[in-house]
Amino acid sequence: MSSTVDSYARALVDIAAAEGNLSAVEDELYRVARVFETNDQLRSTLTDETLPIERRQGVVEQLLGGKASNTTTQIVSFIIGNGRGRDLPAIVDAIVNRASSADNKEVAVVRTAVALSDDQQRRLADALVKKTGKQINLKVVVDPSVLGGIVATVGDTVIDGSVRSRLDQLKSRL
Amino acid sequence: MSSFITTLLGAEDPSQSISWILPEQAEYVYGGLSSIIIFGLLWKFAGPQIKKAMAARTERIQKELDSSASARQTAEEEAGRIRSALGDINAERSRILAEADAQAASLLSEGRARIEVEMRDLQTKAEADIAAAMSRSSDELRAEIARLSSIAAERAVSSALNDGTKQGLVEDFISKVGA
Repeated sequence: MSSTVDSYARALVDIAAAEGNLSAVEDELYRVARVFETNDQLRSTLTDETLPIERRQGVVEQLLGGKASNTTTQIVSFIIGNGRGRDLPAIVDAIVNRASSADNKEVAVVRTAVALSDDQQRRLADALVKKTGKQINLKVVVDPSVLGGIVATVGDTVIDGSVRSRLDQLKSRL
Repeated sequence: MSSFITTLLGAEDPSQSISWILPEQAEYVYGGLSSIIIFGLLWKFAGPQIKKAMAARTERIQKELDSSASARQTAEEEAGRIRSALGDINAERSRILAEADAQAASLLSEGRARIEVEMRDLQTKAEADIAAAMSRSSDELRAEIARLSSIAAERAVSSALNDGTKQGLVEDFISKVGA
């Protein structure tokens, strides 16, 4: 992690903590970062140096306004406004890791083909806590390439129960 | 001369007897003495010169004879050398021909051996290439079958995965991880 990214993360965590909604903000930021990574058009627009900063920030406010908290919208707008659009996923990941570390939690990235209900997320978090023996900060990413099942990554541990991996194993055997 | 003139004048004188062949008696004496004196003078003064000239001539002839003998000997020696060289040339020619024959036979033998080795190598390489090509084709065919099978399996699985199935897989995962 570069020092710039870490500096942004530290400052933004402090801001969100001061606002008193760090958990919700880092969760929203994580979803925004994943969309930013997977949506080429959004990424190219927000990182286009030829577009005025105000216009890029307008795009952010148009996309997140009413759907995310004001703190989340302002943080993303701030990052884009400072010309750090390309670093947005890294900054957000650093925010999530820093926030999790503050609560003595480990980030568990869960990739699934369908959205999980709150009950499923709670049971899955409990299961991962039981499996890894660590407190978990669950981050769910809807990824159609998984096809079915779940891929959970906790630190260096990967628990792969996806249809994709089974198809890959079948392909290897073939 | 005077005798001769006297004889001719005498022919005019019929009283004198003239012999056209024999001279008078005194003339024998004068003539004989004159001849002896002349021969003596010749012997005295011309003899040494003649002897010297003869000796020089004899010496020259002897030198020429010696030179001729020497030249002949040289020529015979040269002829001997030529004959010897001719013999050497014949021997050398025979040796060269024999050597060339041996070398040609050796080259032919080596060439045959090398060609046989190269043919064996080419045959081995061709067999290996054929085997590799067959293996490669087989691998490519196997890979293509695997790829098509994989695509078919993915399509079949994707079409079979509805929301209910996906939720079931999520529940299975949670149950297994939490177990």
